[in-house]
Amino acid sequence: MSVVALLEAEALDPQLELAELTEAARGDGAIVTFVGLARPESREGNAVDAVVLDHHPTLTRQSLEDIAVACAERFDVSHVRVVHRCGTVPAGEPIVFAGASSIHRRAAFDAADYLMDRLKTEAVFWKREVGDDGAQWIEPTEADFTDRERWG
Amino acid sequence: MRIRLYGRLADAIAPEIELTAAGSTVGEVRRRLAADHAGAANSLARSRALIADRAVDDGQTVGESDELEFLPPVSGG
Repeated sequence: MSVVALLEAEALDPQLELAELTEAARGDGAIVTFVGLARPESREGNAVDAVVLDHHPTLTRQSLEDIAVACAERFDVSHVRVVHRCGTVPAGEPIVFAGASSIHRRAAFDAADYLMDRLKTEAVFWKREVGDDGAQWIEPTEADFTDRERWG
Repeated sequence: MRIRLYGRLADAIAPEIELTAAGSTVGEVRRRLAADHAGAANSLARSRALIADRAVDDGQTVGESDELEFLPPVSGG
């Protein structure tokens, strides 16, 4: 069993993260991963050049770790890996990698789903989309909170 | 004392400010900031207050050496 939760200030390479998880998952039968990208368009349809994620010096990483540990305790998974960007992420580039491995696939699917529902609502970030129209602060949507409630 | 602000508050006020507030309560500091920065009043009202990474309520008295933080609701990841 391993739980990895990283805050990455420079770049996030999903292939590298998958390779790390695959290496850890020897003996398992399933790996499920999710990669979130910075969207090039806001909810209002405006062009977005980059997403800027402000973070707290201690609580942000702690929130990632708390969610990853809770995931590992809740599901029958062998390894959990969460890597999240902070700082400026150009549109189209990865913001988050969330993955889990398990002996059978269902636990890994559920774990990845759980990781993202909690990260989307609870990870300690303050995000703004930056484009030609200026900067727009983002908060979780009602759908995000509804998804989070599925897990109790 | 030093006050750290995040997200919309850092944008509207500053990421970090110095304030003479020793002996005041957290709520008094919150109201003073809101009075000085009307555009941030709503975010301040919705923000959690922390000292040394621990949540404190508005009745808590702050000392000169305390570092008070106001965290608006998070965006999530």
